[in-house]
Amino acid sequence: MRYLNKSIEEIHKLLKNKEIKPITLVEEAFEQIENSKELNAYITLNKEEAIKKAKELEDKEVDNILFGLPIAIKDNIVTKGLRTTCASHMLDNFMPIYDATVIEKINAKNMIIIGKTNMDEFAMGSSSRTSYFGAPKNPWNREKISGGSSGGSATTIANRDVLFALGTDTGGSIRQPASYTGIVGMKPTYGRVSRFGLVAFASSLDQIGPMTRNVYENALLLNAIVGKDEKDLTSAKKEEEDFTRLIGKDITGMKIAVPNYFMSDIVNEEIKEKIKDTIKVLEEAGATVNYIDVKYLENAVTLYQIIAMGEASSNLARFDGIRYGFSKENPKNIEDLYLETRALGFGEEVKRRIMVGSYLLSGENSKTYYNKALSIRDDMKKEFENVFKEYDFIIGPTTTTTAYNLSDPMDDPLKSFMDDVLVIPVNMAGLPGLNLPIGFDKNHMPIGMQIIGAAFEEAKIYQLASLLEQKLDLELNPNGGEE
Amino acid sequence: MTNYIPTIGVEVHVELKTKTKIFSNSINGYGQMANSLTNVVDLGYPGTLPTVNEEVLNLAMKAAIVLNCKIRRQMHFDRKNYFYPDNPKNFQITQARTPIGYDGYVEIDVNGTKKKIYIEEMHIEEDTCKSTHRQDKTLLDFNRAGVPLIEIVTKPCIESSEEAKKYLEKLKELLYYCDISDCKMEEGSMRADANVSLRKNETDPLGTKVEIKNIGSISNVGVSIEKEILRQTKLLDNGEKFKEQTRRYDDKLGDTVLMRVKETGNDYRYFPEPDIPFIYVTDDMIEQVKKTIPMLPEERINKYIEKGISEINAVKLIQNRSLSDYINECLEENINFKVGANLLLGDISAYLNKEEKNIKDTALHKTRFIELVNLVSDGTITSKNLKDILQTVMEKEESIKEIIATTGVQNITDDSMIKEVVKKIILENPQSVNDYKEGHDRAIKYLMGQVMKETKGAVNPKMAMDILINELNS
Repeated sequence: MRYLNKSIEEIHKLLKNKEIKPITLVEEAFEQIENSKELNAYITLNKEEAIKKAKELEDKEVDNILFGLPIAIKDNIVTKGLRTTCASHMLDNFMPIYDATVIEKINAKNMIIIGKTNMDEFAMGSSSRTSYFGAPKNPWNREKISGGSSGGSATTIANRDVLFALGTDTGGSIRQPASYTGIVGMKPTYGRVSRFGLVAFASSLDQIGPMTRNVYENALLLNAIVGKDEKDLTSAKKEEEDFTRLIGKDITGMKIAVPNYFMSDIVNEEIKEKIKDTIKVLEEAGATVNYIDVKYLENAVTLYQIIAMGEASSNLARFDGIRYGFSKENPKNIEDLYLETRALGFGEEVKRRIMVGSYLLSGENSKTYYNKALSIRDDMKKEFENVFKEYDFIIGPTTTTTAYNLSDPMDDPLKSFMDDVLVIPVNMAGLPGLNLPIGFDKNHMPIGMQIIGAAFEEAKIYQLASLLEQKLDLELNPNGGEE
Repeated sequence: MTNYIPTIGVEVHVELKTKTKIFSNSINGYGQMANSLTNVVDLGYPGTLPTVNEEVLNLAMKAAIVLNCKIRRQMHFDRKNYFYPDNPKNFQITQARTPIGYDGYVEIDVNGTKKKIYIEEMHIEEDTCKSTHRQDKTLLDFNRAGVPLIEIVTKPCIESSEEAKKYLEKLKELLYYCDISDCKMEEGSMRADANVSLRKNETDPLGTKVEIKNIGSISNVGVSIEKEILRQTKLLDNGEKFKEQTRRYDDKLGDTVLMRVKETGNDYRYFPEPDIPFIYVTDDMIEQVKKTIPMLPEERINKYIEKGISEINAVKLIQNRSLSDYINECLEENINFKVGANLLLGDISAYLNKEEKNIKDTALHKTRFIELVNLVSDGTITSKNLKDILQTVMEKEESIKEIIATTGVQNITDDSMIKEVVKKIILENPQSVNDYKEGHDRAIKYLMGQVMKETKGAVNPKMAMDILINELNS
């Protein structure tokens, strides 16, 4: 049996007692990745460096539980000397000269970066099919999407190539693919994790988060990446805490809200049934579950489109072919350089969003749309705050359907947003949200439940998620033979 | 020269004198090797984020205070989106909606009356990088990218080129004295644009606005406004209509040149910068900044005049801030400030210029300066003596009395010695003595000159004069 299929505690013990070396884990990871090439989870592998790092670690003390463990990084997080493409032709030759803050933190724990994972181009999409490098495939059924935009990270975790991956979530991009692939994905509170070195899509929404095969490992990885960063003014200063600390604790007396909108007819019946089953488990465990109305949820997608595309149109302006990345050769003049570099360098979805975003910020539109969206977003935030005065959690399905076919048409640009209708409100309110696998549909595709907490209450989310994980005790390795 | 009423507004960009840039920790410096003062933030690398240099906020608040502006208590930054090679992110971080200062004024003196030049607003923003065009190539130097700027915009309340120049001089003086900027127009740390329009009557709406950009000196601001008024006058007289446009001042041509006609209003797609949280200014922050404001030029001049310094010298002192700061250190002392100012602006300035030194870097510390002023005031040292010992005074730490003693240039203050010289001169110049006795006042000046000549100036002139008159009358 692979060592990487063992529990984190066991692997740590083996490393600590020098019964295995990090290189063993690295080799196992690459063996599995290379055997699953068809899944297209990675854009760039870091094999040579990973092996080198693993060997360097042999002489070092195993000083933390993440020591020597391979990790996959979504390809919109910059890694010094390791190509970072954002799944775009625009950056397919881009070699960063600095590390993102989260990468510095990963390195400080002596984790080993195994490669950069596939994603929607610049994280714009919900099936990873806008990737310049082709879409990743769902390990549960290779005809299906892995979701997006963190589709590659979800795929590699679901396939058990590695235990740890980082994803990013602007409008559900961690939770939705986690749901489609049956893994645990956490979008932390906005400000919890530094965004320095995350190639910005929508600055006021983007957040980096852990994607793992189980809840405990998820909390461990979150422990490693959080913290106020002087380089990111939107990062929050919080007391250091151990996100695993509430795992295993009783949930008796906790109050849980289910927004009626989350269980309305926009959601597939099979998924709703599974949610209801899970609610029963929660009630048996001593929690109270109420169905409530939460205002503004149905506006979230519209707000998201305005804010995310407006910000994106500005954030992506820097890709002009002058300083880095793709550049049109022999341009006639500066205008030609701008136009051709951006026409050829960006894919269709990215260009569509830049155009819509530019329009939304033009002239009076900026007041009519963007400013108004910001103000409704504040109202939405307050609405959530009010719910959390009374409830410990908000739960519901993560997605309205299970993963659909890779061959489904992509010609409806609005559909991809509707995929994220249940996850987007969490970004709008800046709250933490986690996807937990809670079962499978009749085609044995994973179904996920979203657990939303009050701001900075990640530890509590892990407490609830872990309890359910234990009660449900699902077989979540698509290749079988789970630990 | 014109039958029209000019309406002028001035926009000034000033680079702030900070250690580091506004949104990154790169050094803010001028004249360094191209692209040596840059980092990934200045270059707009993917994934980078801005931080806010607190020094910038403090200097901008300081400027707002000395320009009599109201200070915004809750502000944010905005993105101004436009594509240009000198703009690394293709957006500039600025303050479009919540400028840090607003509703201020600067008071200038127009033909003896005070006039307030009203300031609409002043905001913080980042500088772009510097482009150099070589044949068909453009070279970019990112050292300037992210240098902190404040832009100060007046209301259209300036009525002549003279007022515009006075405003700029005053502005420069204030910002320079407060250590906000070094205000060197030749190095681009202060840049001015002028908006000029003409109308027939006070009651008419404002005429078509022409913007003159990047004028390289205050005097050229004056010239370019004059030229622009003439150009517009000619057009209006001929009944010609013209469009709103941007021109630049061509120093060689001595005239403004068309850059571009404004077709439609530029759409910069402003929106609040999401990477920088709102900034809240507290009373305490303002109080802290106020403490760093030194005595301003106007107050200094008044103080100097009050202390007996002539208005001309008071103004001259202001023009040399290190001398002004220096004499300010002594304002509480009981010395002859008239003499002090003369010394500083005369021989000491000559010495400092020749040696290319700042007075702070000489040996003439406060106590020695006071000693020097007193010795000159009481006639112990004449201006002739001073020239001989000045270098030693400026460079050696010894007391000035000792220097006088060792160099032997002490004034002859001994009555009998002076009397001897005076007697000798009287004997040698009978004609002049005669003239004097016949009432020709000029003769005594000649005799006095002879006394000074004989003693090589080393005599207390007041004493010598008294003795001379005494001897002549006896």
